[in-house]
Order: sequence, then structure tokens, then C-alpha cells
Amino acid sequence: MLTVEALEQSDVGTVLLTRIAGFTAFLHENGYGVSAADSVDIVDAASRTGVLDQPILRWNLKSLLCNRYEEWQRFDALFDAYFLPPNIKVFVSRDAAVGAPEVTTTGGDDGSRESPTTPENAVVDETKAARYGASREENLSSTDFSELNQADQARKVEALMRRLARRLKHLKLRREARSQRGRRLDLQSTIRQSVASGGTPLRLAWKTRRRVRSRLVLLLDVSRSMNAYSFFYLRLARALCNELADVHCFIFHTRITSVGEALRDPDPWRAQERLNVLAVGWAGGTRIGECLQDFNREQGARLVHSRTGVLIVSDGYDTGDTALLADALGTLRRRARRMVWFNPLLNQPDFTPVARGMRTAMPYLDLLAPGADLAAIERVLPQLIKSLR
Amino acid sequence: MLAADRIADIAGLQGQLESAGYVAEASLAATLLLTLDLGRPLLVEGDAGVGKTEIAKAFATVRDVRLIRLQCYEGLDVHAAMYEWNYQRQLLAIKLLEQDDRPLADKEKDIFSEAYLLKRPLLEAISCDESPVLLIDEVDRADEAFEAYLLELLSDFQISIPELGTVNAITRPLVIITSNGTRELSDALRRRCLYQFIEYPDFAKELAIVKIKAPQAADQLARQVVAFVQQVRRMELQKKPGIAETLDWTAALLRMGITVINDDGAQRIIDTLSALIKTRDDCTGFTPEVVARIAATC
Repeated sequence: MLTVEALEQSDVGTVLLTRIAGFTAFLHENGYGVSAADSVDIVDAASRTGVLDQPILRWNLKSLLCNRYEEWQRFDALFDAYFLPPNIKVFVSRDAAVGAPEVTTTGGDDGSRESPTTPENAVVDETKAARYGASREENLSSTDFSELNQADQARKVEALMRRLARRLKHLKLRREARSQRGRRLDLQSTIRQSVASGGTPLRLAWKTRRRVRSRLVLLLDVSRSMNAYSFFYLRLARALCNELADVHCFIFHTRITSVGEALRDPDPWRAQERLNVLAVGWAGGTRIGECLQDFNREQGARLVHSRTGVLIVSDGYDTGDTALLADALGTLRRRARRMVWFNPLLNQPDFTPVARGMRTAMPYLDLLAPGADLAAIERVLPQLIKSLR
Repeated sequence: MLAADRIADIAGLQGQLESAGYVAEASLAATLLLTLDLGRPLLVEGDAGVGKTEIAKAFATVRDVRLIRLQCYEGLDVHAAMYEWNYQRQLLAIKLLEQDDRPLADKEKDIFSEAYLLKRPLLEAISCDESPVLLIDEVDRADEAFEAYLLELLSDFQISIPELGTVNAITRPLVIITSNGTRELSDALRRRCLYQFIEYPDFAKELAIVKIKAPQAADQLARQVVAFVQQVRRMELQKKPGIAETLDWTAALLRMGITVINDDGAQRIIDTLSALIKTRDDCTGFTPEVVARIAATC
């Protein structure tokens, strides 16, 4: 393996080009949105600054190739993995917030399906997994995500989510903005336009109510008791992610993990691979309270604002502390605009919210909706949209 | 260019930024130099209060150029960001020109000339003689439609005004865009920019900032203040204090005549915490016991 030091003594031009082009490809495999144009920029930058100094190379590549915070966070580990010789784990651990990369997180359970030469899968989940640590109640057997790509229901799910997305896009604010046609005359703008015709208002300008830009946060329970519904909801989530830009999806069981990036992956098979890595603990126990608390602490301030609708999907069977759950739900409820809980068990005729988690959650919810299948969700759609406005 | 020269440049810029009142890591200085080299915009993200906006101000000071600032908000449109015709003057001119017997085309050209054009920040930035620093603050607050306008500007550095034609940039401004993450920015915008994420400062950096910005605070107090704030940031809060809050709080402590933080003075510290803790929920967490416990470790 070539190292930065080795580069220094060799023919810089060609070695550099191939090596750095390799790095962009490596980042691309790891889900970075980099393109060939970036390579050109890198070489441009390199020729100006002299890349052969390790920290400068790192900083330059970092600012050039990262596009968002998740990428920024993972970059140092990937850089080390690519440019440093394998026997040196960490060159400089400058960034205490990100923490040193740990290699042990994905364990051997899914190692069998990955080729042993690709370290990138180990890196994908690294920051999250390292933070939470393992739990006894996690299910360590792997889950088969191929069901996610089956076509039978996919079309219907997509159609329904498209409808939901379209309705959400049409929610209006009371505030107004200029528009081509509308319900009220924009007098100021009309007079401005009349200048062109010597003060005679020939063209009229209108105002209309502005759109709401609402954000959705989906929190999906994928514990054992929800096993029958998890895939269904994940599929809904993926369809919704494809329709709306501002949807953020998390799965939780004994810990909470973001799956938004994996779901958005345009390549369904790669999405499946990434979910495999993320879903360690799928169909294990449930600790809703702790998961929500983790969510509040790490994502809450960033993701949940006064126009956020939080959709929780869970049956409410909770093995954690109910006081904790109440506390976390309270915090979340105060931050969010609306909180909707989908409970698949609600369809059953003799349903009463007896599950501990469900009983605790009731006072904090704006809407408790049934959601065992597509038809149930379709029925509840008008209420859902109403409650999100 | 040799790497050694570059390292010297980076250290030099760090020093200049510091004398302009901004403590920057070497990585940030390196990125700023790279933005200059490549002429690409810089997208800065990070939590509120980590000093994103200050970068642009300090950088403009260092380079001794104008800072042109565009504060984005919901409903920001092209008239507020790029240009607007001065309608009142145009109407007046129309009335005055009624007696004039020049041909109509000339009159029209006259009315839609630069004299009647109000330059808003973006147009101003590309028509400066000397390349300014253009700060587009909180771009996530503007609509997607505005982002599209911005993309056109950032790729070609030209603005098309239907009545006047295309205005090309005389000099390219150095563009710094900040975002707080209230909305996901488009990939197109992100791809066009260099990216920098600013974390909350660590102890050493924040101490350096406090010493620069609040030199009247004694060394011991500065250390204690920073240690205290660093601990507070680790707590579960709705609104974590930023650097501005740290400085405010230092000023508040100085004003109250507190020169040392210890667990005896917990009540006095609580009186000043309004400079640091900004929501009611967070305030309830700061009982005298909690404050005394944190203070004891400082």
C-alpha cells in the first residue's frame, strides 16, 4: 500500500492522480456524493498547495469532498483507512468530538456476507455504534432485507405516499407571497408594474397564501413485537423519502439509528446492504424511552423544530422505564409541531391502550392512528394531514 | 509550491485572523486559502453560536476588503437580494419626459438605465471594483427558489436583468455561505461549494477566544468560565450556549464583581446565568446544588 511518505519520493504526477482518483472512488463507495469533477478540483488544489503534507492534504480533501455533516464526521476515519498503512490505526487523533475509530463495532454476525477486504461497511455505522455500545437484549442474528425490494406491494405504497406528499406540499400558511395568480391583489406590486405602462395598471399582480415547509421525522419501532409490520413501514418510509425532501427516518429497538441515508440510496441493493449494517439488533427488545431520550439529546435540537411532525410507529410494548418515556415524549412534544403515533394493533376491535408504553404516551399525542395495513393508513390519511397542519 | 510554504501561509493567515479577533484552527485557515485559490464559495455549517458569521467578518478585515452581507429569511426574493428598480424616480422621470421630444426608444432607455437601478447585496457584490467578501447568512432560511437563483449567480457570476441585459462580474467576490440546518440544502448547492463544519470549540480554543475578546478577565477567571461552559455544553440542554454566550457571561461575571468561581458563590453565579442559559426548561435544571457541583470542578 502506498503511503503519503512513499508518495513524496516517487513520481508525483501519475502516482498522485491514480491514488487520489482511487480515494474519490473509495468515498463514492461509502455513499459520498462525489463525482469526476471533484477529482479535477483536487488535482488543481494539489498542484497549487503541494499535497505532500499530510494535514494539508487532509484538510483540502475534507473541504472539497464533504458536502454535509454526516460526511464531515466520517471523513477522518475514511481518510486514515485509505491513506495510512494498515498497521498504523490512527495517525493523529485531532478531533476529540468524533473519537477514535473503532474496528470492533460490526462484529462477526454479518461479516460472513461481506467480502473481508472492504473496510467501508465497518466505517458506515461506526460513529453510532461506538456511541451506544452493545446490549444484552439486542438480537444479533442478521435480518433479511431482501423483502424490502419485492415488487408486490411497492406500487401501491408508492402511490399512497405520493398522495400524502402532495397533500403535505399543499398545506398553506396564513402569510402571503407574490404569485402568478391568487386570491388577493398585490397592490404594491401592481403599481410597480404599472410603471412600465406609464402609470396605467395593465398587468395585475396577485398574492396567495404561502406553502408550509413542514418536516417529518419518522421513528419506527423494529423490535420483535413489531416484526410483522416493520418491513411494511420501512417501505412506506422509503417511498416517502423519495417523495419529500425533508423527511428524516430512524429505526429503534434497544437503540436508535438513522436510516435516512440508506433509504435514499438510489441503488436498491446497496440500500439493502447498508440497512444490513445498520440493523444490528433488529427484532430485539424495546426500550422506547431510552431511544427517544437518545434521539432528543443527539438529534432533537437539530431536527425537530416548530414545523416538524413527529410520526412514531410502535405497538407500545416497552420494557424500559415508563417515567423516562414520559419525560422524553414530553420534551419531544414541546419541540415538535405535532406528534402522531401509529399503532398497528389499533385495528383490533377490542383494542384498549393497555400496553405500558402506549398508556404513558397517550397524553402527549395529537393523534393515535391505526396502521396495520395500507387500507388502514389510507383511511386515516385525511386525519393525519389535518393534524399535521 | 512547496508544502512548507503552504504551512507558513496557513500559520500566517491564522495569525492575521487572530489579530482580527477570530481564533481559527489550522484546518479552517487551510480551507480559506483553498477558497481563494479555487475561487469557489465556502459553505459553513455548525450549531448556532459557534462563530460562522464571524469568519466572514474576520476574513474581510484580514484582506482589507468590503464585507457585503445578505441576511436570508423566509420569502426573500430576487428584488430584495439582487436588484430593484427605483419606481418612484422612474415615475417622476416619466412625467418629466412627457415634455421631451426625443424618440420614445431613447426615453425608455433612459428610464431603464443604471441610474434608476437599486443595487441589492448580490448585484452590489459582483459590481465592486475590488473583490469583496460576500456573506450569505443563514441560506437555509430562504426558499428553494432562491437557492436556484443563487446557483446561477455562483456558477457564472452574472445577473441577468431583463430590461438592462446581463451584468457580468467586474471582480469575483469571495463567497461565504452559512447554514444552520433548519432545512436540507440542495445537493447542487452543496456540490458547488467547499464545505466546513464548525464544532463547538474545545477548551484551549475557547480560552484563547475569551482572552482575545475579554482581555479584562483575569487568567484564572477565564479558565474557570471556559471550564464551566464546557461542562454545561455536555449537559442535556435545549439550547447549548455558544461562544457569544460565553463572552456575555464573562462580561456579566465581571460586572457583578465575581473574580473567582467557587462552590460557595453558587447563588451569585445563578444570578448571572441568564446570560448563558436561554430557555425556561434549561433554567430549571440549574439548581444551586447543580451549579455548586459544576463550579467545584472548575
